[in-house]
Amino acid sequence: MIQFHSVSLAYQKDATALQNISCKVAKGEFVFLTGPSGAGKTTLLRLIYGALNPTRGQVLIDGQNISRFSRSQFPFLRRSIGVVFQDFKLLQNRTVFENVAITLEVLGWDRGDISKRVMYILRQMGMESKIHLIPQRLSGGEQQRVALARALVNSPKILLADEPTGNLDEANKLQILNIFKEANVKGTTVVVATHDRRLIEQAHYRTIRLQAGELAGDGEASDEVVA
Amino acid sequence: MKSSRNIVKRPTMSHQGASGRMRYFLGRALANIRQNVFVNVVTVGTITLALLIVALFLLLVVNLENAAESWSERVQVTVYFDKELTAQEQTDLKNRIQALPGTVKVGWVGRDEALKRFKGRLKGQETLLEGVRPEILPTSFEIALKKSSRSSEAVEAYVARLKMVPGIGEIQYGEEWVRRFNTFLTFMRLVGALVGGFLLIAVVFIVSNTIRLTIYARRDELEVMSLVGATRLFIKMPFLIEGLVQGLAGGLLSLILIVLIYQLFLHNAGNFLTFNPVTSGLAFLPVEFMLGLVAVGALLGVTGSLTSLRRFMADS
Repeated sequence: MIQFHSVSLAYQKDATALQNISCKVAKGEFVFLTGPSGAGKTTLLRLIYGALNPTRGQVLIDGQNISRFSRSQFPFLRRSIGVVFQDFKLLQNRTVFENVAITLEVLGWDRGDISKRVMYILRQMGMESKIHLIPQRLSGGEQQRVALARALVNSPKILLADEPTGNLDEANKLQILNIFKEANVKGTTVVVATHDRRLIEQAHYRTIRLQAGELAGDGEASDEVVA
Repeated sequence: MKSSRNIVKRPTMSHQGASGRMRYFLGRALANIRQNVFVNVVTVGTITLALLIVALFLLLVVNLENAAESWSERVQVTVYFDKELTAQEQTDLKNRIQALPGTVKVGWVGRDEALKRFKGRLKGQETLLEGVRPEILPTSFEIALKKSSRSSEAVEAYVARLKMVPGIGEIQYGEEWVRRFNTFLTFMRLVGALVGGFLLIAVVFIVSNTIRLTIYARRDELEVMSLVGATRLFIKMPFLIEGLVQGLAGGLLSLILIVLIYQLFLHNAGNFLTFNPVTSGLAFLPVEFMLGLVAVGALLGVTGSLTSLRRFMADS
């Protein structure tokens, strides 16, 4: 589903963010992307949803070489990828419902269908009683669940998460992890970038480790903890 | 979940038609205005004030032009004759002069009329006129010129043509006055164009920067929309419609304000500000200027939004 072939990326001439990365994530896989701050986790995720272009090498998503995409092709790629962030990136002047509905409005869905689908996903997230609230009125865990609802509402092929539990307490972390697992069980390929060891230990999934922009390890969580 | 997957893959998208899309964009733009009232009030206020300054400047220009035109009506050519012309001679000459390009009107001033005017000018000093009989005054033709023939060069060219007319008398047209008046007009127009140009640049700068700040404040919206796969047009359209609405609102408000200012303060200003000695009182903007003001507002709103979006979307 996701393939990196000798990918390098430099923001400036002598500031290399990623160096010769090659790896594959299969369809339906759950992968943790770990490493210290500044290791290149976020950069790798941004390459997947086309917010950045590699300086060298190729990125293939679902068989398509997105390094050769024109600017107008990226929106269509992003419709099959859900993304969540540590800071949630919710629109503060819109309600919970409206924040989630954006994804379907972009796809041109009918208002009635949007309403049904958004309510369905928010019920799954346990947020059905807060649809008319604005994000500021919600706790961190609730905001992340809304962000997840927005990312998952159109059942994307890939779900990317950049430090999704960075601002959350233990109980909320577990709840968010369970949502990732559920999405994965339903067929979504999940890539979670995190440096939270406890989160990785709680779920025994493949872990790709980055160190100073280079691939430093790839294996089961237990191996990585030892490494 | 299986059933919901079917919904996701549903091929028909009910409002993908052009009108459905437009309805969505319009609805989104109006919702954005409702959700960002303060920002919109600030933007509309800025556009209104900026256009109001432009409107006041235009009002000044229109009235100065009116004044200049009425002053330029004083540019006339007079042909004096020592002798009284016969009716036949008068008609012949009048017809010939009338046929010259640039002539608007030719008026005959006979000796009696000349004396009457002379008396009018010397009101209060009638004793000076004792013994003056009409016979000693010259008769004349007074020629009013077309607007396009009132510049120094045009008047000179006209006079040269007039001299060719057989039987013509002594020609006077106040060369010095015409020359000075035209220099003054050219100077005023140059100053007007310069001030107007600077004003326009300032207005464009202020309005586009205000819009840029308001869009900058909502750059997270651009980012989120782009993240969920919205095309650039889909992201831009509601903002452009919002810009259009802001521009139209600003244009209309500035128009209402200029009408109010004119009615309350300037309408009667002619009593003490005699810009235009003929009509007295200030003229209001012509309809095309009013429409232009609203159109400029709309244009500013749309282009301001477009350039700002281009800048911020390139970053995202």
